[in-house]
Amino acid sequence: MAKKTYDLLFKLLLIGDSGVGKTCVLFRFSDDAFNTTFISTIGIDFKIKTVELQGKKIKLQIWDTAGQERFHTITTSYYRGAMGIMLVYDITNGKSFENISKWLRNIDEHANEDVERMLLGNKCDMDDKRVVPKSKGEQIAREHGIRFFETSAKANINIEKAFLTLAEDILRKTPVKEPNSENVDISSGGGVTGWKSKCC
Amino acid sequence: MDQSVAIQETLAEGEYCTIAVQGVLCKGDSRQSRLLGLVRYRLENGAQEHALFLYTHRRMAITGDDVSLDQIVPLSRDFMLEEVSPDGELYILGSDVTVQLDTAELRLVFQLPFGSHTRMFLQEVARACPGFDPETRDPEFLWLSRHRFAEPDVQSPKPREWNSDPGTRSGFTPIGGGRYQSRNARRGLEDVLLRSSSYILPGGGATEESEFLLARETLGGGTVGGRSARGGLRDEALEEADREMSAGGGSRERDCAGGFNLDSSRPNGRGLLMDQNSGARCQDKPDNFTRQNKSKSEITDMVRSSTITVSDKAHILSMHKFGLRDTIVKSHLVQKEEDYTYIQNFRFFVGTYNVNGQSPKECLRPWLSHSTQAPDVYCVGFQELDLSKEAFFFHDTPKEEEWFKAVSESLHPGAKYAKVKLIRLVGIMLLLYVKQEHAAHISEVEAETVGTGIMGRMGNKGGVAIRFQLHNTSICVVNSHLAAHTEEYERRNQDYKDICSRMQFSQVDSSLPPLTISKHDVILWLGDLNYRIEELDVEKVKMLIEEKAFQTLYAYDQLKIQVAAKTVFEGFTEGELTFQPTYKYDTGSDDWDTSEKCRAPAWCDRVLWKGKNISQLSYQSHMALKTSDHKPVSSVFDIGVRVVNEELYRKTLEEIVRSLDKMENANIPSVSLSKREFCFENVKYMQLQTESFTIHNGQVPCQFEFINKPEEYSYCKQWLTAKPSKGFLLPDSHVEIELELFVNKATATKLNSGEDKIEDILVLHLDRGKDYFLSVTGNYLPSCFGSPIHTLCYMREPILDLPLETVSKLTLMPVQTADDRSQLENPMEIPKELWMMVDYLYRNAIHQEDLFQQPGLRTEFEHIRDCLDTGMIDNLCASNHSVAEALLLFLESLPEPVICYSTYHNCLECSGNYTASKQVISTLPTFHKNVFNYLMAFLQELLKNSAKNHLDENILASIFGSLLLRNPAGRQKLDMVEKKKAQGFIHQFLCSPV
Repeated sequence: MAKKTYDLLFKLLLIGDSGVGKTCVLFRFSDDAFNTTFISTIGIDFKIKTVELQGKKIKLQIWDTAGQERFHTITTSYYRGAMGIMLVYDITNGKSFENISKWLRNIDEHANEDVERMLLGNKCDMDDKRVVPKSKGEQIAREHGIRFFETSAKANINIEKAFLTLAEDILRKTPVKEPNSENVDISSGGGVTGWKSKCC
Repeated sequence: MDQSVAIQETLAEGEYCTIAVQGVLCKGDSRQSRLLGLVRYRLENGAQEHALFLYTHRRMAITGDDVSLDQIVPLSRDFMLEEVSPDGELYILGSDVTVQLDTAELRLVFQLPFGSHTRMFLQEVARACPGFDPETRDPEFLWLSRHRFAEPDVQSPKPREWNSDPGTRSGFTPIGGGRYQSRNARRGLEDVLLRSSSYILPGGGATEESEFLLARETLGGGTVGGRSARGGLRDEALEEADREMSAGGGSRERDCAGGFNLDSSRPNGRGLLMDQNSGARCQDKPDNFTRQNKSKSEITDMVRSSTITVSDKAHILSMHKFGLRDTIVKSHLVQKEEDYTYIQNFRFFVGTYNVNGQSPKECLRPWLSHSTQAPDVYCVGFQELDLSKEAFFFHDTPKEEEWFKAVSESLHPGAKYAKVKLIRLVGIMLLLYVKQEHAAHISEVEAETVGTGIMGRMGNKGGVAIRFQLHNTSICVVNSHLAAHTEEYERRNQDYKDICSRMQFSQVDSSLPPLTISKHDVILWLGDLNYRIEELDVEKVKMLIEEKAFQTLYAYDQLKIQVAAKTVFEGFTEGELTFQPTYKYDTGSDDWDTSEKCRAPAWCDRVLWKGKNISQLSYQSHMALKTSDHKPVSSVFDIGVRVVNEELYRKTLEEIVRSLDKMENANIPSVSLSKREFCFENVKYMQLQTESFTIHNGQVPCQFEFINKPEEYSYCKQWLTAKPSKGFLLPDSHVEIELELFVNKATATKLNSGEDKIEDILVLHLDRGKDYFLSVTGNYLPSCFGSPIHTLCYMREPILDLPLETVSKLTLMPVQTADDRSQLENPMEIPKELWMMVDYLYRNAIHQEDLFQQPGLRTEFEHIRDCLDTGMIDNLCASNHSVAEALLLFLESLPEPVICYSTYHNCLECSGNYTASKQVISTLPTFHKNVFNYLMAFLQELLKNSAKNHLDENILASIFGSLLLRNPAGRQKLDMVEKKKAQGFIHQFLCSPV
């Protein structure tokens, strides 16, 4: 059989407090690079990356959101349609960890019910400034029954692993279609429309 | 290329193709290429009739073989061919010309290429139309009946048949004939089936006629035709009959060699004239068309979008057309093949053996296993496997199994082999084996056959081929048995060409066009090519062979001569012939043919190749085998095959995918904004403030738009507007966006009360791209405009002197609470701002003409507003008209009108009844009642001076009616009846003492 370049399209979303490194996590994954200058994301950005999992080509469309509080009401409207959400905090920023439960509530309220969630404790290379022990991250992840990784976009720790694991978890839930149905696009719409795709 | 030549080949005598054009037939979404030929027929009386012949075609038509008649549209009186402009598409210079063909029965739409040729074609068609001259006879188109497809009723042409779909025709019609003209082949077939033996062909060459006579005779009762009937015909049937006779076993029956035992009642295609293979191809045909169409439309899509932008490839990527991305990946993989493959030699054994209808009688090892090293691949071809007519008619032969077994048992003992494929066409068989360990690397195996024998179709001559992929190298092996007889070398050349053009392998990816022989990395061609030694007499040939002067002899070899003349096997190579001719021996011996015919020896059996990295290790005949009148030939090759290094392949693929991802990411529309935070300070009532910013586009054309936030009905608050709010940006271009802030009566009250703030986030959305958030902040200066009457009554200070909380609290205070005087201290009777304006007018404008009827000045209004809001009334210096308008604006901006909404309908009902009206007014909240009475007193005062100011009750009632009484349902509503009643209501108060 002729192999298709990708069979599936997964839409992923990065959320979390401002400055925890969401954009850097995405940049590391998509471009395998890191930028130290902090430019706050004011809006919604996205990148794509094609990966292969279990012999299937999967196009990941990853959305990066503004973390600033004043944009929260708007950013939550982008949750719908996401098949996986990465909730990121900063292990050197206690406040960003405390807000995890608030972010999880946001997911419950606004995202699809079957969305695959994942918790990331970013900046794990900065152990000297750590204020959130790894065990606390593990604990809250366990409480909510979600996966957890400590990551570093700067030192390239666990970034790829986190994305691939999330994609695999989504793939596991995806009904397998026969290769006959070519170019399966299971994310309905799938387009870059933001909340416009929402039916009013 | 004038394609009318090809069409002409298919036409009958008297028919002439004047002009042809290649176009696209549009049916719904389907697009199919058609050749349109304008055909003229000259009647006996000298008149002419025309018809449009529509052909399907397999390529740019060069000969009649390339086209197949699809339908005929006679140019009758109701025929029309007009240029139309396609729906919804702008006419672009240089684009295709769309034409619509109309007759009483059908309508077809074609796209014809832009240019003078199409113009000429349309002109010719227009000229050929019969027109409406009643003098001329209606064209009858009797001549077209000969083109109609198999249909028992010959006499009455039905238009339906002219339009019949190619797919619905009988299975054997569409393919053009091989070396016979397709017209005759097709007509012959149909007519032979339909007509009695008395059928006489209307025309055609001598050879063709003979062919059909032969057919006729057979049909006429299956009697023996005899040689005389065939005349000098050099037909394969003869050859075979000769052979049979010489072999001593032939009965005369066999003379009907063409197999014209036409039993049209046979339900499956097997017994019919066409061999299975071509029958199958016919059925395939519609599929082929759709396949080609699909790929074509994809290509057109790419071409079309490429005109939009240079970075088009990435655009395609980002669309949800995964197939296209796949195609790009594939083409990159092909380009980079050398990065991840290496050349590894595989040993190929190629053998050919004409077995003259014999069964295997001796071990084949001397031929197949003569070398010490076991070959990796075996390609073994046979010809004349079975000469019986059963094999020919029914395609079944026990010989297939016998020879397959014989070969399998004689393969090199040094290795285990797996059979990959066996393909056979009558007596032409090809076997492909590989060493077991290579079996996993063989893929995309396809086999096809092409008959070029009797009538250019039959399987007594022709070729079979197997194509496959060994690792990354595509290989095609062809075994052919070409036309016999020394002087027929041109037919051999033609057979070769027919095999090349008609041998088509379907591809795994059905969207791709079928593969031909030439599209392979390696081509191995073996077989009884039947080329002879010419010019030399038999004895001379035998003498040269005796002397082993093969070089000398080779100079007279037809194949050598034809290859040198580039008429056949172009690009192929053959090894040096160091063995004696392989034909023709007395069976069972090494003696040259001693029969009556005493045929001259010839190198009939050959092996040729084409491709890179091929080296021939041996090329020889095998005299030890004596079963046949031919000797088998073998050639061993080392062929360099591209083998994939899996690791490098993965890496290359990954790189390609990465680069495509990168390109796609780089082509997500992206802009930069000169400013994202906007602060509007000290916003005042009805005073426009503007902030602007620039959107700079990146490298990708993009469409931008401010989009609505969830659960909101517009992209921003009511007091804000973005101009423009959407647009299109070319790469590297920019646009300036103005944000305009304007607070009016609709938004002022909530800004006064603090329920609303100058705060908003705008979402600038790029189509297929990012979203940008823009923040708007600022502060609003409260104003008496937009404040409720009772709120103002409680404000003893100017509104701007009060703390914001007080303003907010007073604004939110319900009007009922305000009436309960015990709770609050010292309210004023009426708003001081109202008093200020009325007092100003009373003092200055009592004699003013056109008061309330002339507009004020905007700058003066702003000054008046500031004076009222800061209490600096002494500074007020404005025209009477401006103050009058400010008063009207004040009344208009009241969130609750002077006559409260709740009283509105009561008032209208009482209109005309003054007592009842007064009664209703008395029920108003105190401050509203005060304001109403105050205003009425002022207006009556103005009316006292009507001699000077020319005001009257009607003017004032009309102005103030709609301000004091406002419909609670909708302020914009202009119901004339209600308006009249409201005016009437005010009118009463203006005419009577308060």
